[in-house]
Amino acid sequence: MVPPLDPANDNPPAGFLRIDFERGRPEITFNSHVGTLYAKRGEKGTRDEFVMGFRVQPHMCNPAGGLHGGMMMTVADLVGTMGGGTLAGLRKFLPTVNMTFDFVAPAKVGDWVEGRAEIVRQTRSLLFTNIYLTVGEERLLRASQIAKIPSGEGLAFGKARLDRSAQPA
Amino acid sequence: MVIESKVPLGFRKLAITGFAAANGPWFEKIDGRRAIRGFLPREQHANALGIVHGGMLAAFLDSALGTAVFHALQRRAVTVRLTLDYLGPGRVGDWLQAEGEVVGHDEHMAQVRGRLYGPRHDVMTATGTFALLSRHRSLDIRS
Repeated sequence: MVPPLDPANDNPPAGFLRIDFERGRPEITFNSHVGTLYAKRGEKGTRDEFVMGFRVQPHMCNPAGGLHGGMMMTVADLVGTMGGGTLAGLRKFLPTVNMTFDFVAPAKVGDWVEGRAEIVRQTRSLLFTNIYLTVGEERLLRASQIAKIPSGEGLAFGKARLDRSAQPA
Repeated sequence: MVIESKVPLGFRKLAITGFAAANGPWFEKIDGRRAIRGFLPREQHANALGIVHGGMLAAFLDSALGTAVFHALQRRAVTVRLTLDYLGPGRVGDWLQAEGEVVGHDEHMAQVRGRLYGPRHDVMTATGTFALLSRHRSLDIRS
């Protein structure tokens, strides 16, 4: 059975808001299925900061009790396309063409994991990014990604937004 | 529920926990020297485009490469590096298979090549570097 998601004990640090991938649609996507994901953005209208974060829960782990590599790869993929796309000012869905992951350290239940993207180069049709997942100062995963920038409008990534309703007053 | 009739003969459901269980079920068939993994993606494995999420495909192919190492060398292994090329979309409702082949190894590391494919086309290719665990050693988790 799929364990129920319990975002109640995620305790995201200040500035992180839950990412709402569904926006009211009944069916959930994989991004919600794997666990609750959060993001921190700069001031509204700016695009120089994008940090994704999540609290490691048991359903994200391998049988040895460590954060599953599949979860790291899923989040790194998203940090590259959604985060890298945000930094580049691209408001459309960027399909991944290639990714390389180096698994440099494990993480455990309860850790708060953050993911950040750095744009290496943007061409007319491709976005090259480096991605790191970290717990505190320690790096867990180094990834490098090539994503396609679709011509034309493409599909807007506007289906995902930050849930500001949970923002403390 | 998985539509069991879509699972080909010879595949048995894997008893797994945690991330793999929450995102499965995954199946496996041992065919001589080959270990083939299978998976039937559903809506919860899809991204905003309605095709199977790249992270899900990555996790599935990674598991198939790890199984290939275990099957070939009788050693458990952890992924150190994984390189993926996304060739085409994985479709929800299509039976997907993944398998790996150990192309080289020494006492500590194994190099694996693998692919993930659907009924009509290749979805992804991969090369992986795996660190072999000494027999009977449990995984260390950072404390």
